[in-house]
Amino acid sequence: MLEVRNLCKSFGGLEVTKNVSFALEPGERRVILGPNGAGKTTLFNLLVGELLPSSGDILIDGASITGLSVDQRALAGMSRSYQKNNLFEDLTVRENLALAASAGLSKTRWLARDSFHDPEVRSIVQDVAQQVAITDILDAPVHSASYGNRRQLEVGLALATRPKILLMDEPTSGVGPGMISAFNQLISGLPRELTVVIIEHDLDLAFDVADRITVLNYGDVVFEGTPAETRGNQIVRDIYLGDWQADA
Amino acid sequence: MFHQTPTRSVTLAIVLAGLVAYATFGGFFAREIVIEIAILAILAISLDFVAGFGGMVSLFHGAVMGLSAYGYSVLTAKFGIHPIPAAFAGIFMAATFGAAVAAIASRTSGIFFIMATLAFGQMLYTVIFKSRWLGGDDGMGGIPRFDASWIGLDFNDSLQFAIFAVFGIAVCYGVAALLLRSAFGRTMCGIHGNEPRMRALGVSTWKHKTAAFAISSAIAGIAGIFAAQHTQYISPELLFWTVSGEVLIVVILGGLGTLVGPVLGAAVFVLLKHEVGNYTNHWHIVIGLLLIVTVMAGGRGIYGQLEHWLAGKYAKAREGLNA
Repeated sequence: MLEVRNLCKSFGGLEVTKNVSFALEPGERRVILGPNGAGKTTLFNLLVGELLPSSGDILIDGASITGLSVDQRALAGMSRSYQKNNLFEDLTVRENLALAASAGLSKTRWLARDSFHDPEVRSIVQDVAQQVAITDILDAPVHSASYGNRRQLEVGLALATRPKILLMDEPTSGVGPGMISAFNQLISGLPRELTVVIIEHDLDLAFDVADRITVLNYGDVVFEGTPAETRGNQIVRDIYLGDWQADA
Repeated sequence: MFHQTPTRSVTLAIVLAGLVAYATFGGFFAREIVIEIAILAILAISLDFVAGFGGMVSLFHGAVMGLSAYGYSVLTAKFGIHPIPAAFAGIFMAATFGAAVAAIASRTSGIFFIMATLAFGQMLYTVIFKSRWLGGDDGMGGIPRFDASWIGLDFNDSLQFAIFAVFGIAVCYGVAALLLRSAFGRTMCGIHGNEPRMRALGVSTWKHKTAAFAISSAIAGIAGIFAAQHTQYISPELLFWTVSGEVLIVVILGGLGTLVGPVLGAAVFVLLKHEVGNYTNHWHIVIGLLLIVTVMAGGRGIYGQLEHWLAGKYAKAREGLNA
């Protein structure tokens, strides 16, 4: 489905992604773990094309997308949510979702017809609003919504393009325990054929939803395995207990 | 996001009806003023389309209008081509030029975008100013108006031409409003709101902005056709950057991003210019003061302020009902 081969990225002398390779099965749930500065968000930026790799290749269904722009990769079925909310602040929640749904359906160029009144767009808006539990604030402007609601909308925007591959960058960043369990349910409830990659700091959530876990540290893949294997792994324990050293 | 609210429809209807009445009962000079307002209003609609809703402020809309006027004038006066196809050709030239400039300028944003449009507009001005064939700084004359005798109209009659120009505002407003409510317009507003996110959702924002400028430039081109037919004489002054600056002032004065505001702004601007001009040559001072007041009051413009005030009244009335 999604394959990454020997991906490298340097900023000047600083290597932030070092020879990263992994392959995802269709419908797989992959969690990326790693401490701050491990290069997780950089990896996402490389996957969606917001950064270009120094070397290496990214493939969807065997075809290289490394040369494609951000919008072309989105049309190829890739969608991401951001660690920091990246919304249309001055629009309503409904308009936010409708923009994403129209873009996903490539209904952005009609000159006489309103995409917001298109039945397909409307049904996606309703479905996604239910999925991320924001139906009650659909007509509120985004800037008046609570942080938690905006977090939900952030994921909703990524879902509304109806992607094949969903990349979620710390969906639970900054939210309380109640909402973490809500996100857990949301992810479990996603259609099984959707391939999902999640960057997550909450280990319970990570172990719950993941089929496989990739651990990054200083830009390197230091471990890959099932949640059970990850739990017992010494490297992972060291990283999360804080006494990991790069040269240890 | 654009909404054609009842307040906007009513305001537009009042302004257009007022212009028609003024042209009908005001005599020859009133008609000249109405035509001047109509040309400025159409140009302001075209600028508000990209600046107010697409977030792309330009300083070359005057040049785009002038290009269309020159295209029309050359084809009719020099080559004797029928005015209708010549008008379409002029509008097409404006749209092509606008799209070409936007294709380059859209790689930048903010002040750099404004400067890029200014530079391309001034380049076009200089080319026409220097061209002896186009009359250079002397301009060109002998430009015909549309022949509408087949529907029993005579556009050489000042009243009929004035009403035709007001009709032009209505058509351009309608086209702009329809486009803003379409998928294309929604997407453009989305790009204005958050361009990186729009790209991440799968929209080629660069292509979209270029297309938006082509549309806006075509509307500016319509203003150019009216401008050429109005005085039946054109000069490079039409393309000078101060014309673009003036229309930007009109848009801000009327209400950026309200579509009807710029139409109202054009009427206020031209009427003030002529009324104050009766007493003093320094009419710019009055416009300047008015602009400062509107900007200090929240930058909503005259119409935007009215909408804001009505929204406040409405909210209060609702509170009163709930209490």
